[in-house]
Amino acid sequence: MRFLRSLIPSLLVLGAGVADAASSWNFDEAVISVIGKGNTGAAFKDKLSDNAPLAKPVTLNAADTLKIILTATENGKAKRPHQAFLLLRDQDTGLEATFPLSVKETGKGKVDFSQKDLPVQLLSSSQPLRATLLLASFGSSQAFSNHIFNLDVKPDPNAPLPKYEKPLRYGKLEEINHIFRADPKSGPKIVSLFFVLAVLATVPVLLGTWLYLGANLDHLSKAVGAAPISHSLFFGSILAMEGIFYLYYYNWTLFETLPAAGVVGLVAFLSGSKALSEVQSRRLAGER
Amino acid sequence: MRWLLSFLLLGLLSVVHAVSSSGSKLLVVLEELADKTKYSKYLADLESRGFKTTIESPKAEKIALFELGERAYDHVLLLPAKSKGLGPNLTPKLLLDFINAGGNILLTLDSSHPTPSALVSLLLELDIHLPTDRNALVVDHFNFDTLSAAEKHDVVLVPRPDALRPDVKNFFKGAGEDGEIIAFPRGVGQTLGNTSPLLTPILRAPRTAYSYNPKDDVEGVDDPFAVGTQLSLITTLQARNSARFTVIGAAEMLEDAWFDAKVKRSVGLGGVGSGAKQVKTANQAFVKEVTGWTFNEIGVLKVGKIEHYLNEDGVKSNVTNPKIYRVKNDVTYNIELSEYSWDHWVPFTPPTGDVVQLEFSMLSPFHRLPLKVASTTKTSTIYTASFKLPDQHGIFNFKVNYKRPFLSNIEEKNTVTVRHFAHDEWPRSWVISGAWPWIAGIGATVTGWVAFVALWLWSKPVPLKLTTSGKKIQ
Repeated sequence: MRFLRSLIPSLLVLGAGVADAASSWNFDEAVISVIGKGNTGAAFKDKLSDNAPLAKPVTLNAADTLKIILTATENGKAKRPHQAFLLLRDQDTGLEATFPLSVKETGKGKVDFSQKDLPVQLLSSSQPLRATLLLASFGSSQAFSNHIFNLDVKPDPNAPLPKYEKPLRYGKLEEINHIFRADPKSGPKIVSLFFVLAVLATVPVLLGTWLYLGANLDHLSKAVGAAPISHSLFFGSILAMEGIFYLYYYNWTLFETLPAAGVVGLVAFLSGSKALSEVQSRRLAGER
Repeated sequence: MRWLLSFLLLGLLSVVHAVSSSGSKLLVVLEELADKTKYSKYLADLESRGFKTTIESPKAEKIALFELGERAYDHVLLLPAKSKGLGPNLTPKLLLDFINAGGNILLTLDSSHPTPSALVSLLLELDIHLPTDRNALVVDHFNFDTLSAAEKHDVVLVPRPDALRPDVKNFFKGAGEDGEIIAFPRGVGQTLGNTSPLLTPILRAPRTAYSYNPKDDVEGVDDPFAVGTQLSLITTLQARNSARFTVIGAAEMLEDAWFDAKVKRSVGLGGVGSGAKQVKTANQAFVKEVTGWTFNEIGVLKVGKIEHYLNEDGVKSNVTNPKIYRVKNDVTYNIELSEYSWDHWVPFTPPTGDVVQLEFSMLSPFHRLPLKVASTTKTSTIYTASFKLPDQHGIFNFKVNYKRPFLSNIEEKNTVTVRHFAHDEWPRSWVISGAWPWIAGIGATVTGWVAFVALWLWSKPVPLKLTTSGKKIQ
């Protein structure tokens, strides 16, 4: 056998000048069948042609087994090729699975597979798989490679497809943009304004009530006449303290506020005791 | 002064000679020194590119990858050995240590010499699998050289490889001419583990190729080791430290004979190439690219200046790289990247479809943004990204983690503190409409208090009036 194989090419090389090596690989009596589980009869059976693919895609259901039997030939004579592969190609991704045919000495080859023999990636292909048969061997015989049929894999609709997790490959990752928390919101301005007005309205109400009850400032000239410095300083320091509080709210720091408040407080204390004694003297005089 | 001069001279010398970005000391391990003539062109190519080669036999006593704990060489080229092992100085552990220390290794296999088991176990450790039978070789009945392997079909002809993915740079396409053919004579195919992102094939076998053992599978193959594109002919591994390890399945590729051999392809799948002409192989140029990649002459990235600064309202702050930012600050980040190309640095641009990304992360990224080209200098590209810091305080990193096949790894981390708002950085209460009634309340209280003080001080009592009911009112 081995001798023959080495002899043929040398003969061919000798004859190459005369005519191109015309010997080629092919197959005969190729039968494709799909057998369902349990029932003995084939669900589908057809003959394969060496020059044209089957018109309709072959359907392979979850429990089915696909079987191909053929006889490989070299120049019309049955012979065992070194390479007898059935390639199934996913037309979306170009991924390919290979099923070697077990070929006997006589050239009779056989391959059978079911869905569980297919890689996971091919099960989820959207298009039918393209089946190509390769028959080739050493030497100068022309190798055979033709598209012989399409295979439509129908996974079991009841069972979930086996999960395929993509392995880690270095590449661009998805962009992430931080989602900021929403800014704090206030209620409608109209409501705030209504309550502002309601609050501010209390001031005239208060003053009006006091006036109605007879409040007045009639002793102002008398008090200022009796203790002019202490009265003006005391009332001035009360106003100044409010001013300091306002500045503290607006932009002063605590350490700017405290000394100022201390000075004004001392003035209020000293002048207040004088001013209040004057108020007391008026009360003792029965004028209050 | 003199030592300074000598340092300068030394620097100049290294500039002139060191073409690889990581040193020029190359150890060539070759069993039969007589075989050196087979690789004369390849070795001359290496030397002309500035490598200082030391050729040693694996059996030599003085061969050592490390000297006083430091790498003695920058790169190692292992040519196939006839003997069963590589000796005590080139054990798998030492070779791995060499990779871990940042050294690059180019390993060649040959089907006519069984691969030493030491190397097989080294490759296994890296998740590169060799055929179990040591004599296996790759054949292809559809893409073989009809001139040299008409009978055995073991000289596989492969076109220049395509880019691994559309977004990966192709360093191995040569000048990009069509019809360039690489001869892969009597080589060993490898299969790669699927889980490692560090492994990348440079050259895959054609669809119709397969690996078989010429001693056992004489009549036919029923259960081949691997077939088609699953077979990797040239495999690379880039470790996390960017050390490179390449396996060339066919050592004959490097031989002079195949550098300028003429080949003629067979009739391929579906009858393509039936009228093929004799062409010269592209082996010399292709092997130069594979070697150049392995020995850090191409595909090496370098980070230059990294800069980040506050950029509020488009006004760049004068302080660069501050240690602290506040939440919601507008910040700009710049990074300078260069790529080494044979003997000089050039500006780095990622291939179309790929992008350099900046992560701003605390444990996990809060932002992952594309870096855009801001400007280019003669040797570098400056990438920039501007963004608002997240509203979360803590310790964050500006992180550029750029890992891509065939490019050396970049992992740059700059840590900054992000503080929360200080008490006087919040919006003032008068801006908040919900606070207006409360402010008005304070105003009303103040007015009432001042009016009360005035009344207390200066009000004159009104005379008592009696109501009809006899109760006293003021």
